[in-house]
Amino acid sequence: MAIDTRGETADKPRPSGEKKRTSPALFYRQIVAELRKVIWPTRKDLINYTIIVMVFVLIMVGIVSALDFLLTEGVLAIFGGS
Amino acid sequence: MLTAITRAFRTPDLRNKLLFTLGIIALFRLGSVLPTPGVNAENVRRCLEQAQAGDAGNIYGMVQLFSGGALLKLSVFALGIMPYITASIILQLLVVVIPRLEALKKEGQAGTAKITQYTRYLTIGLSILQSTAFVALARTGQLFQQCQEDVLLNDDVFTVVTMVITMTAGTAVIMWLGELITDRGVGNGMSILIFTQVIAVFPAELVNIFRQNSFAFAAVMVVGVFMIAAVVFVEQAQRRLPVQYAKRMVGRRMYGGTSTYIPLKVNQAGIIPVIFASSLLYLPQLVTTLFAGQEQPNVVVQWISTNLATGDTPVYMATFFLLIVFFTYFYVSITFNPVEVADNMKKYGGFIPGIRPGRPTAEYLNYVLTRLTAPGALYLGLISMVPIVALAVAGASQNFPFGGTSILIMVGVGLDTVKQIESQLQQRNYEGFLK
Repeated sequence: MAIDTRGETADKPRPSGEKKRTSPALFYRQIVAELRKVIWPTRKDLINYTIIVMVFVLIMVGIVSALDFLLTEGVLAIFGGS
Repeated sequence: MLTAITRAFRTPDLRNKLLFTLGIIALFRLGSVLPTPGVNAENVRRCLEQAQAGDAGNIYGMVQLFSGGALLKLSVFALGIMPYITASIILQLLVVVIPRLEALKKEGQAGTAKITQYTRYLTIGLSILQSTAFVALARTGQLFQQCQEDVLLNDDVFTVVTMVITMTAGTAVIMWLGELITDRGVGNGMSILIFTQVIAVFPAELVNIFRQNSFAFAAVMVVGVFMIAAVVFVEQAQRRLPVQYAKRMVGRRMYGGTSTYIPLKVNQAGIIPVIFASSLLYLPQLVTTLFAGQEQPNVVVQWISTNLATGDTPVYMATFFLLIVFFTYFYVSITFNPVEVADNMKKYGGFIPGIRPGRPTAEYLNYVLTRLTAPGALYLGLISMVPIVALAVAGASQNFPFGGTSILIMVGVGLDTVKQIESQLQQRNYEGFLK
């Protein structure tokens, strides 16, 4: 009936076992159907994001390597001179 | 791009957050090079150079990657963020299994705080175990097998206990640093710290490849760029479920009547499943290191060390792949609750056109999510496998341990962080990096 769902929360179990198991083939077709509805990034977005991510990672690699180099030298100067 | 960075630094609030995060990263790196009391820093350095020069150095690749190079330096932060990650995986799994924990989680804020507390205790427990094991290895000289020099200054009980306590305390500090980043910095602390660990070892790995084989280096670079693009492509893909809100009158005002959408990412789980899977597979590696010195290891240990300790055996690849798929579904199911979303939508008068509110909506959400997660999980698994497989075919797998995982972690965390900075910029009406 139309008003069936109004009062209850969404997690009530289905009234009877009317649902059948999805076969792998059907599942595959459903996956493909869903993937068709996905909005994929445009070429421009893709290039933009890729460059930004690479620049970000490079900057961080630079910062961390510089830090590591300085800190290692510092630590050796303090603890390694014996 | 550059102007966006200067703009990010010109916004006081965001600048503070960025500088705070960078400061924490600096502290984290400091702890990763600072030697634990009782360690002969000079000898450790010499042994490390030896290990890296020799072929056997490659065995340490994975260990290096997951400690950001800190473990073999026997530093204060030797254990890295791994114990914390392992502990949180274990707790998240236990929440599903143990009813008492599940009840706690449903309690809301207070319950979650309690679970976080348990995670911290477990982290400490795990780090005591791991640090004891590693100090024992260092003491008997098995940490660097070809190296003759003494890594410790002296090996009495007092020194050993001090080292264990220092490393455990170090792990606790890392945990705190991570939570500080989550609270007051940019991004998720755990991801940022593991990102830092990965990029700390990455340049050295690349240089290693370049030295051994410059052709392979070029190939790796090209494949790397393509993989970065592939990761960006999938991470950006969304399935938009249209949601229509009913118009309603509150007092004299008209509200709602808008149509929006629920964005469901193809890979809703992000990179967490990969981190989880690889840190679980890091455990066998640890086990084999622990038993490395035994004269006659038992059958189980032998099997583990031949099949699970290196990345190029079929058993390892299959386990890795299955774990990633499992964790993707698992993580999606604990982070996105269709029933809750459907109930909320109903409460505010929203509905998906063509589907009744309430239970049918929850079922529909669940339907779409399970179907989207399947390719998402496959993608995560494949991206992590591609380098292992490709390099194993080329016979160079040892040169580039965990290539796929490193790239996934780097790109995933990078993308997340950039987007977070971006959204913070846009809150203040600036146009960000991503025009």
